[in-house]
Amino acid sequence: MSLNTSTPLESFLSYKADTKGQCGNYSIDIQKPKEGEQYRFHFDANACIGCHCCEVACNEQNANESDVKWRRVGESTSGTFPDVAHHFNSMSCNHCIDPECLKGCPTSSYIKFDNGIVFHEDETCIGCQYCTWNCPYEVPVFNKDRGIVTKCDMCHDKLEIGQTPACVQACPSNAIQIEIVNIKTWQEKDMYKDGVAPHLCDVNITKPTTRYTLKENKGNIKTADDHIIKANHSEWPLVFMTILSQISLGSFLTLTIIDLFNFYSFELSLNNIYMILAAFLPAAIGLPLSALHLGRPILAFTAIKNIKTSWLSREALALGIYTLGMSILIIVYFLELNKNIKLLSEIIILLIGIYGIYAQSMIYRIKARPSWNKKETNQIFFSVGYIGIFLSALVLILSEEYTSAIMIIPFATILAFCQFILSLKQDLFYRYLDKNDKNFYQLNKTKILYENKFNKENKLRKIILLISTLLFPILIIYLLEKQEYKLSIVLLILTLVMSFISEIISRSLFYKTAVAHGLEGNFFAGSQR
Amino acid sequence: MKYIFNYINNFLGFDIKKEKYSLINDDFFGKVAKIKAPTSWVRSTCGYCGVGCGLYIGVKNNKALYTKGDPSHPVNSGTLCPKGLSQHEIVNSTNRYKTPMLKKNGNLEESTWNEVFEFTSNKFKKIQEKYGNKSIACISTGQLLSEEFYTLGKFMQIGLKSNNFDGNTTLCMSSSVMGYKQTFGSDGPIGAYEDFSYADVIMLIGANIADNHPILKLHINKNEKITGKKPTIIVIDPRFSKTANMADIFVPLNPRSDLALINTLCYIIIKEDLIDKAFIKKRTSFYEEFKNHILCNYKPEDVSLITGIKVKELYTIARVYAKANKSMSAWTMGVNHSSIGTDTVSAICNLAIITGNIGKRGATALSITGQCNAMGTRESGFTSSIPGYRNFSSLKDRSDYAKIINVPIEDIPSSRGYSYPQIIDAIERGEIKALYIVATNPLLSYPDQNKLRSALNKLELLVVQDAFKSETSLIADVVFAASTWAEKEGTYTNSERRCNYVKKALEPLGSTKSDFDIFIEFSKYFEGLNKKLFPKWNKPLNAFNEWKKVSKDRLCDYSHMTYELIEELGGIQWPCNENFPTGKTRLYDENMPCHTDNGKMKLLSLDWIDLPENINKDFPLILNTGRTVEQWHTRTKTKTISILNNLAPEAWIEINPKDTLKLKVKSGDRLSISSKRGKIHNIIVKESESIREGQIFVPFHFDVQLINSLTLAVFDEKSFEPNYKQCAVQLHSKKVPHGIIYQKEKEI
Repeated sequence: MSLNTSTPLESFLSYKADTKGQCGNYSIDIQKPKEGEQYRFHFDANACIGCHCCEVACNEQNANESDVKWRRVGESTSGTFPDVAHHFNSMSCNHCIDPECLKGCPTSSYIKFDNGIVFHEDETCIGCQYCTWNCPYEVPVFNKDRGIVTKCDMCHDKLEIGQTPACVQACPSNAIQIEIVNIKTWQEKDMYKDGVAPHLCDVNITKPTTRYTLKENKGNIKTADDHIIKANHSEWPLVFMTILSQISLGSFLTLTIIDLFNFYSFELSLNNIYMILAAFLPAAIGLPLSALHLGRPILAFTAIKNIKTSWLSREALALGIYTLGMSILIIVYFLELNKNIKLLSEIIILLIGIYGIYAQSMIYRIKARPSWNKKETNQIFFSVGYIGIFLSALVLILSEEYTSAIMIIPFATILAFCQFILSLKQDLFYRYLDKNDKNFYQLNKTKILYENKFNKENKLRKIILLISTLLFPILIIYLLEKQEYKLSIVLLILTLVMSFISEIISRSLFYKTAVAHGLEGNFFAGSQR
Repeated sequence: MKYIFNYINNFLGFDIKKEKYSLINDDFFGKVAKIKAPTSWVRSTCGYCGVGCGLYIGVKNNKALYTKGDPSHPVNSGTLCPKGLSQHEIVNSTNRYKTPMLKKNGNLEESTWNEVFEFTSNKFKKIQEKYGNKSIACISTGQLLSEEFYTLGKFMQIGLKSNNFDGNTTLCMSSSVMGYKQTFGSDGPIGAYEDFSYADVIMLIGANIADNHPILKLHINKNEKITGKKPTIIVIDPRFSKTANMADIFVPLNPRSDLALINTLCYIIIKEDLIDKAFIKKRTSFYEEFKNHILCNYKPEDVSLITGIKVKELYTIARVYAKANKSMSAWTMGVNHSSIGTDTVSAICNLAIITGNIGKRGATALSITGQCNAMGTRESGFTSSIPGYRNFSSLKDRSDYAKIINVPIEDIPSSRGYSYPQIIDAIERGEIKALYIVATNPLLSYPDQNKLRSALNKLELLVVQDAFKSETSLIADVVFAASTWAEKEGTYTNSERRCNYVKKALEPLGSTKSDFDIFIEFSKYFEGLNKKLFPKWNKPLNAFNEWKKVSKDRLCDYSHMTYELIEELGGIQWPCNENFPTGKTRLYDENMPCHTDNGKMKLLSLDWIDLPENINKDFPLILNTGRTVEQWHTRTKTKTISILNNLAPEAWIEINPKDTLKLKVKSGDRLSISSKRGKIHNIIVKESESIREGQIFVPFHFDVQLINSLTLAVFDEKSFEPNYKQCAVQLHSKKVPHGIIYQKEKEI
């Protein structure tokens, strides 16, 4: 490598430009954090002029394409003309004390260095993107080209050897600086005063370390991307995976209860191998489907690494064992082994399955996405099991066990009705959304998505649900009583198809309408996530 | 097969492209992205705006991969704006011409240099034979290197004998040129960026530096550490721009009331005896006339009505400005884009003069230029003056210049030809038949597009010389495909008179040629012309050396500069001669007289004139146009840089919430804007408290929502600069198609 002739300086690494700050210089004078300290960013909103140098410099440093931005500049405005203020927020990672990305990561790919930097280990990442949901600042960003998530690491390998992080170097206003913070005093006291910025979420969620010098809020603050209400990813693999696994649990529950009743000498039909297949197949189809949403499907099995803190790991492990258990049970059924052993293993597998679906629903109980973080999410996930009960009823009818079918269909209908009530409850929640809700900004955008953009879909879902799970079952029972079996089978299949469609719609809306906590955005580009 | 293998590899996630995204050690700048790691760094200067930042271009295999701020450069100390940082992307942009183009059967087709030069020179000769020498006009730019400007000027004025030659600088800087001329006797920005770091008061008037010159903020940053206290920043702008966010005092004056505002500040300062008497006595002329004019006509009570600024506020501003030890003012297009721009510039200078804020560190009246080399063309470009700030009308100046370049004095034009707008009018009248446009894009940047386009239709020949596919080049008969920044050598001069060296880092793309080479080669197609004007010229240094001789002993003296010295010092601020071998930071200090007859600064009596087109029943809103940091001018360079373009991919309209309420629109909706001259559709609404009720703002960069089809082709009489900043418009939303109902302005 060479510099063309007559270059005045040998290297810029030791050269100090006269900027009266960290900006401009390619080297940085900062000590290493001592015990109990860590690095952090300071952002001075009074100095920032919203020029986007930091964003471009970051992408230039890391060779990221323009759709993978580790640093973004949020914009909002407060006040009434002419007494106005622009509020910029240049944010990359806040290198939190209690990072949600790290806790939720199923592959333990996040490391909190001793110097406080939250580092993402690329090699072990499977691209599940759960961290992009969990981080309430939307910091981690999926890089399609790589199939993994990437994020700001404060240019840690530069900082280590005294080189200035790209954003700090590039800021012509010295608005971004690196500082050392005492972790204890920060999280006990200073964070509540200096770590808070407009539009960002409650600092208690992750204990971010970025220090803010803020511009005076002139009231009535409005974000530049207020008007952008963009539907989220549909997450189709997850839509099918979650619903199929929930259906499976419904079927399996039916099977176990029938066996339990029989154990206590109720004269119900005996479960046959088709009953267990009805429970097994949805799960066996659904689980592998989920791998399709990964950036690196080949590594799907490593998702069980972090059962200590990640609900995703717990779900993967529990539903894995549940499905495996069912496949063993198929052999038990095939070999027609001892009834009691069968029942005992069914109960154990059922409990694991219940835990699996519970863990699955807990994946969505995250503070970063308020529309998911409701107990109704857990309820909805379990209620979908009604389709599984209908499925079992179909198997029973096909096995000519009509009495048993007639007995279980009402249970499916009751559960489906619960699902219907949950849907209504959700509609009412958004219709009368509380303006004082601390998540109002996000929930209100969800509301607009439900009520405007997806109004038709949302209505259709409920109508289909009502017809297929309340009206049809009455007819089915009537037909069964009348011994019109063929017609009842047709109708029951219709119930299954329609209710399945209804749940698919509902679940895809669940994903599409999620509005995350994060940085306020740009007028055109929004939050760039 | 390999493709399928790669696809599967990627799909399954075996390959996370670790190498592609890794960093590597660079000896000069530390860790850089491995995939973009250059094999050499070329020291050069940024090619975007007039700030003139020093940078290094990272090169590998004749590709520019990085642009990094030069920390040793006095202008930018290692920083660059977002356009500068991504500038390496422009070189191989898909929006570039790779070969010259010639219109055949109505379509522009790839051609050869010989073919386009032959075609164009023959056409030029025929047209000149038929309609006279002056039937050929040229509109150049502020984008070229000084060496290229100088060469083009000689070629047009002396070679082709047409003084109908102007630059797009008339659309941006000419009012500052004329303003400086009438006050100080010569053009030339008088201050330096350093003044931002030393001033106690910084008054930004019509200057949105946060969007347009972000690196200047670097110099304001230093102020507190240097002076020990924060400077008081006054921002005068009808709109609460990003720059207004820095203000301690924001002055939201009515559109185009700036001259009245400045005059009344002078009134208060004179009345309160805050003037610098010694300075006025020693350094100025016409003070008494000036004083009488101001005291008679610009009472704060009256001006308050014109500006919409309360009398009390006017007093505060005047006192803050005048009582400070050192005050500086700086302006750009808010002042220049005005039908009274020249006089407004002089009024700002008046204010600085009566308070003695001239020629001291931290005290100045600084015009910030727009384009990277607007200054170069002002000095050497041969448009509004003979190179070296010489007057066309002065026999001495003509003969001096003729002697230096060794041509008969008759060859030197004795008057300025048509200015840019006059050229357009002359085309409309049928007087000018051929137009040679160099690196500018009137089809986007010129006011009143409908009129312009109908005029250009009357041309017999339109030649466009550009590196990029501009809207204008697409309608040309011939395109001279030029090389761009990084592919050529020469100098740019920035807003503080700093001449920076621009080094060639790359071989030109395709068969493109540097503008210098195009002029020299093209001149060979005209009998004897090349030999006479450019004897043995084959590199920009030939032009630079002649320019040094031409500028010697002039105010803009380059005589002691060499490329090597410029590079060593990180640019040199002219004058650079025996007395100032390393240049001079600011003009007109104690020891430096002005270029007026008596060496004194003129205090001119100047009058405010109301808007050329005010609001009325049909058009009840005032349209203000401007820029955004992500885009450069007509986007020829920036529209292909996705990290910039994604943040501002189309025009928007800023409307006060009170007006959006009337129009029943909200942010994200779309509407139409109309003026007397045209209508544009489908422009996205940005509800904003940054703008006053009754006013709207639209950036001018965009071709789809072409705001210049609405703007007014009214010009400053002295500088010919268009009054872009204000015209009357109406808005048409879906729900309120007839727009806002006109209400006569309430009295204050």
